[in-house]
Amino acid sequence: MSSEALFTTHDIGKVYGTNTVLQDINIRVWPGEIVGLIGENGAGKSTLLKIIAGVEEPSMGTMQMNGQNFRAGSMLNANESGIGMVFQEQSLINNLTVAQNIFLGREKQFSKGNFIIWSKMNAAARNVLNAMGLEDISEKAKVRDLSFAMRQMVEIAKVFDIVSAASNNHALILLDEPTTVLSDEEMVVLFDKIRQMKQRGNAIILISHRLQEVLEITDRIYVFKDGKLTAEVETQHADEAILYEKMVGRETNSEYFVSDRQTVPAQEAVLEVKDLSMFGSFKNVSFNLYKGEVLGLCGVEGSGKEDVCAVLCGDQAKTHGAIKVHQRKVDFKSPSDARDVGIISVPKNRREDGIIDILSLAENISVANYQKNAVYRLISNKNQRENAKHWVRSLGIRCSSVNQRIINLSGGNAQKVIFARVLDSECPILVLDHPTRGVDVGAKGDIYALIRSITEKGGSVLLMGDTLDESLGLSSRILVMKDGMICGEFDCPADNKPEQVDIVRLML
Amino acid sequence: MRGFSMWKRDGDFSLNELFKRNSFILSAVLIIGVFSVINPKFLSLYSLQNMSLEIAPLLPMACGIGFVLYSGSIDLSIGAVASVACVIAGTYVTETGHWIILYMVLFGVVAGLINGSLIAVLKLPSFIVTLCAQSVWRAMAIIISKGSSNTIPIKQRWIVNWATDKFLDFPVILWISLALVILCLVIERKTELGKSIFAIGANEKAARLAGVHTIKIKILTFVLCSTGAAIGGIMYAYKLKSSVPTIGDNLYMMAISSVALGGTLFSGGSGSVLRTLIGVISVMAISSGMNMAGVNPLWKDVVFGCVLIAAVAINSEKGGRSLIIK
Repeated sequence: MSSEALFTTHDIGKVYGTNTVLQDINIRVWPGEIVGLIGENGAGKSTLLKIIAGVEEPSMGTMQMNGQNFRAGSMLNANESGIGMVFQEQSLINNLTVAQNIFLGREKQFSKGNFIIWSKMNAAARNVLNAMGLEDISEKAKVRDLSFAMRQMVEIAKVFDIVSAASNNHALILLDEPTTVLSDEEMVVLFDKIRQMKQRGNAIILISHRLQEVLEITDRIYVFKDGKLTAEVETQHADEAILYEKMVGRETNSEYFVSDRQTVPAQEAVLEVKDLSMFGSFKNVSFNLYKGEVLGLCGVEGSGKEDVCAVLCGDQAKTHGAIKVHQRKVDFKSPSDARDVGIISVPKNRREDGIIDILSLAENISVANYQKNAVYRLISNKNQRENAKHWVRSLGIRCSSVNQRIINLSGGNAQKVIFARVLDSECPILVLDHPTRGVDVGAKGDIYALIRSITEKGGSVLLMGDTLDESLGLSSRILVMKDGMICGEFDCPADNKPEQVDIVRLML
Repeated sequence: MRGFSMWKRDGDFSLNELFKRNSFILSAVLIIGVFSVINPKFLSLYSLQNMSLEIAPLLPMACGIGFVLYSGSIDLSIGAVASVACVIAGTYVTETGHWIILYMVLFGVVAGLINGSLIAVLKLPSFIVTLCAQSVWRAMAIIISKGSSNTIPIKQRWIVNWATDKFLDFPVILWISLALVILCLVIERKTELGKSIFAIGANEKAARLAGVHTIKIKILTFVLCSTGAAIGGIMYAYKLKSSVPTIGDNLYMMAISSVALGGTLFSGGSGSVLRTLIGVISVMAISSGMNMAGVNPLWKDVVFGCVLIAAVAINSEKGGRSLIIK
């Protein structure tokens, strides 16, 4: 390790609207080092990598690469300074060949006049692949014919080639969960390549949810929590237990989650799920949701919990299994069917799936239950507005009028409108998918209180919390999912919440 | 909130916005103003009566396609559907009597069901489906009419003459059209169907997750549209007292232009029947005004092509999500 840091950040922060997702991040990376970033979903790891790679602009702070001030501005600039990122979602173009993908946007070097000399490009691609030890991948193969792992390798080879040309083996490679789609053998190969890159003096920053992996390959680990850097550990001094503790280490504040209003669920099951499966995502999921209960569903991204919710609210089709609502077997093909039997969701991506952006608040609230405001099946706009005003008052939505377009509301207020919509539908079962995502602290508290009053009135909630903290604080019971199956269940009475560490251990 | 938002209080009030949302009224006044300066007889009763004969069949078509545009899709087949309705109504009204109206309305419903099912159930792009439907129905119109216009024999004209008779100074079909406009207005503002159409146009994914029956609503939207087109075609048959297989060739252009001149965003989720009404008046004012000013009719389509582009350019939100076809 040389004494000069390859890359440093100073007080990097990122703010979306009123929502701070990253704050005062100071990290330092030396040449020839592998650094791991760990933390819960939404802790800010991916955001930091995107800022370094030039995909996102930092709201504050500075960065230095090779001792010089560095401001990415764009991915292209970052690449020229020797920084390259491999994304969580693969960015290769499936119907092009491996060679075409590697040199996408850089074809000019192989052109003569306005034509590309393919043989030259293919030869260069061969060299790139060989340098990574990928002799078994043909440069002429179409990307869609490769396995996921191979694609991942090609992607890394591509990024590495781009940055190493610019940096003379002083590149910084950013890997955002590179192993989620890989099998164990493929992982070994990948780690091998990463170590080779390291030996040549390049530095790597890696995000992973698999702690064993992080412990195996990294030299140093940064732990993120709620947008802040909370710990830095030398890998040789760390083990899984230490990392768990650092990841979750925050006192659960029972007041914050209004725990004194947590209900004790009734014996009556409102929703019974038996052997529910969706091919390729989860299988044999069985559980009951009781009247007045908040049931938390925990698991890392990709554990299948998202699809369980999607199936329950009619957004996706199940491949197997049975769902009963109030002891009656139900079968639905769309969210409207689900709504008709009494299940409605607050979607995770508010902007894309939640708000109907250019319509008014009043329209947004009544969309799930138009007939409520109808007189002889003709909708009264006056009733609709009065109804909206009622919700604005009772949920404390800040707006200039109920005719205001929802897109002009802040995240927290828009989310309250979505809650007004699902409450207005009078469905007894609510699926809350990250109900506080992108919501400021004040509105969060309001939403927690709201969830409490829902269950007090006998409603039932299936919750996927934005953080484990939240799931734990709000739920009466918690189900843990891993790799598409339920692998644990915890009772969470208000006065005796289980340890986060125990839950995280099952999740990972 | 939609429609004449100028007269409603609104949370997002700004002068710029106010102008933009209500510029369609300004453009209508401007168009009518210009033509009455060119030809002072433009606003005479006689001229208005003539214009209303032109406006009547276009109104149900424009209101119908309006719904499709509010939902963020497009229907290019309305002209061809109108042609088929016009040809069949014009050819057979002497045999079936006014029952032909019912049959042709049913034809419109079926044409809409086909379009809507292909688009909503099979998730094909509305642009392609309705372009193909246009080709099919246009050919059908020519096949049924054997390629030529046929006039209803003078002896039997009495069957259809009532349509152009005057009631309170204006032709009967204009009053029928206005009644249909009111029906559309009720659908738009007072029914679950109308409200859902706007929700789908603004954000289909969110509307679906909120429990809107997106497939059913989208099919019904195309049914409304084709039915409006068929009614327009029948009106042409009654008005012209003949079957004209090419009548609809330019009508979809006029209908879409009308909705655009009413200030509807083609990205979906906005617009109103009242705005479309103003748009139809603007389009017909341009058309009749050019006639009266002695412009060669061949130039009409050139003008409407440019008007449509201009209207869409003025109204479109320059943000990323404004697309004509979703």
